Amino acid sequence: METATPSLLELQCAMRASLVVHDDRGISAHVVDAGMSPAERLDVYRSTFASVLTKALHLSYPAVHRLVGAEFFDGAARIFIEAHPPKSACLDDYGEKFADFLSDFEPAASLAYLPEVTRLEWAVNRVLHAPDVEPLDPRRLAALAEAERERVSFVPHPSAGLLRVDHPADLIWRAVLEEDDDALAAIDPGAGPAWLLVQRLATGVEVRRMGESAWRITAALFAGRPLAAALDEAPDTEASALLADHLAAGRFIDFSLNETSA
Amino acid sequence: MDSHAAPLRTRDSIPAKAGVGLRFRHHREVLEARPAAAWLEVHTENYLGGGSAPACLDAIRRDYPVSLHGTGLSLGSAEGLDPAHLARVRELVERAEPGLVSEHLSFSVAAGNYLADLLPLPLTEEALGIVCRNVAQVQDHLKRRILVENPSTYLQFRHSTIPEWEFLAQVAKRTGCRILCDVNNIYVSACNHGWRASAYLAALPPEAVGEIHLAGHSLRRLDGARTLLIDDHGSRVAPEVWALYAEALALFGRVPTLIEWDTDVPPMAVLLDEAAHAAALIEEARNGNCHALAA
Repeated sequence: METATPSLLELQCAMRASLVVHDDRGISAHVVDAGMSPAERLDVYRSTFASVLTKALHLSYPAVHRLVGAEFFDGAARIFIEAHPPKSACLDDYGEKFADFLSDFEPAASLAYLPEVTRLEWAVNRVLHAPDVEPLDPRRLAALAEAERERVSFVPHPSAGLLRVDHPADLIWRAVLEEDDDALAAIDPGAGPAWLLVQRLATGVEVRRMGESAWRITAALFAGRPLAAALDEAPDTEASALLADHLAAGRFIDFSLNETSA
Repeated sequence: MDSHAAPLRTRDSIPAKAGVGLRFRHHREVLEARPAAAWLEVHTENYLGGGSAPACLDAIRRDYPVSLHGTGLSLGSAEGLDPAHLARVRELVERAEPGLVSEHLSFSVAAGNYLADLLPLPLTEEALGIVCRNVAQVQDHLKRRILVENPSTYLQFRHSTIPEWEFLAQVAKRTGCRILCDVNNIYVSACNHGWRASAYLAALPPEAVGEIHLAGHSLRRLDGARTLLIDDHGSRVAPEVWALYAEALALFGRVPTLIEWDTDVPPMAVLLDEAAHAAALIEEARNGNCHALAA
């Protein structure tokens, strides 16, 4: 059969269809078949595509992998990869939508906490690979007048993140990674909610629980709301201690001054 | 280890000796025991963020010459390079100041998706123009010369018109890049496609070859007694590849040579043993043309 020569762009898009959705119609006719069929040859690349990305998801979601087992994880990963192939060659960035995928994944429906453990692992993965940035020097804030301080909007450090969960995803995550079956058995999956702070420290990533009020203020600050407005989230909270803790722990990298404090 | 001995910080060149590919498994050992590797090469894409991995590389960089080997720039993509990825590679190059920076003669991005493998190109004039344009863009952006590696391949395209060795030589000639000659890949592709491996080596411009890779491959048996070699970097270098390497040294002179191992990474001692074998062959290379280079 005579086939028109494809442009490089056409050929590469056809190769993408072959690897991602196993559609060889655009590529087969252009592959030399000496001794092996085009499908057999393409299978070598398909196999690498699937195994590399499954491994990348495993690295980002070790607790999910242990919770559901290798066979279930690999099966779910294959379906996810086909629906959401990576957009970047940096595979540390791959798999953001895995939690959403699992929450709609019928075979996992019995594990109500699974999507939240997945979300927590993504948050851990994000802070683990976040860029290295100098934290805000608290003296810059101290140099402001009292009235100016109310109008401050902070820029959060990329190695710190917040997560609210309805299930005790943090306890499950920790027990699973530590392979502590006793701790896992003692967890009430229905106990919740929890307000979590995830941060990269020199020693590794820490996931810790915050009080709801402190978490709400922190969430408002991380969203860039002016300090005075953020504090209105929970007026009774010991705000100066909370702010001092955030500054000392390097959870901001910069700030700007708003026109108003609202 | 005497930390007061102020080890030489070798920012400049990769020596014409045998180094090993550094994988996460060996980070701690390299930092704590400082094994006697002549130089180390890491995969660029494993160090693009912040945190412990690049910090570890900073520390390793103080004691060893380091080369950055990329798998994600997709030099063969018709849609052009991903500017965000290129910017991140540049940040790492500026941070690590590697002796060499290398990539592959392949594509791994199409229609905005990363396809997680080093995919074969149709070897046409169109592809040659696109690869050269992309290599030139990378070199301009990084402000340095890169090396481009021949891939191992499992298929060829009907409309290819240029032999791979000529294609690679042309890329080097037109862009000024160097060639990373992966001897195992030549062996694998030659077996898979019926090429003559020795003729491939002999067709490369010796002065352009700036690095050699060595690795293990495996044999996949298909039905009907058919076989395919798979470049899985999961075993020792095969005897046939060592023989081809000796031919390469005779042609190219002493060239920095790397032992790669990515599947079931063995203890560092095994990698160093393979490197020692390569080092012995480098010593035997009679051609005095030394290729230690500052890119």
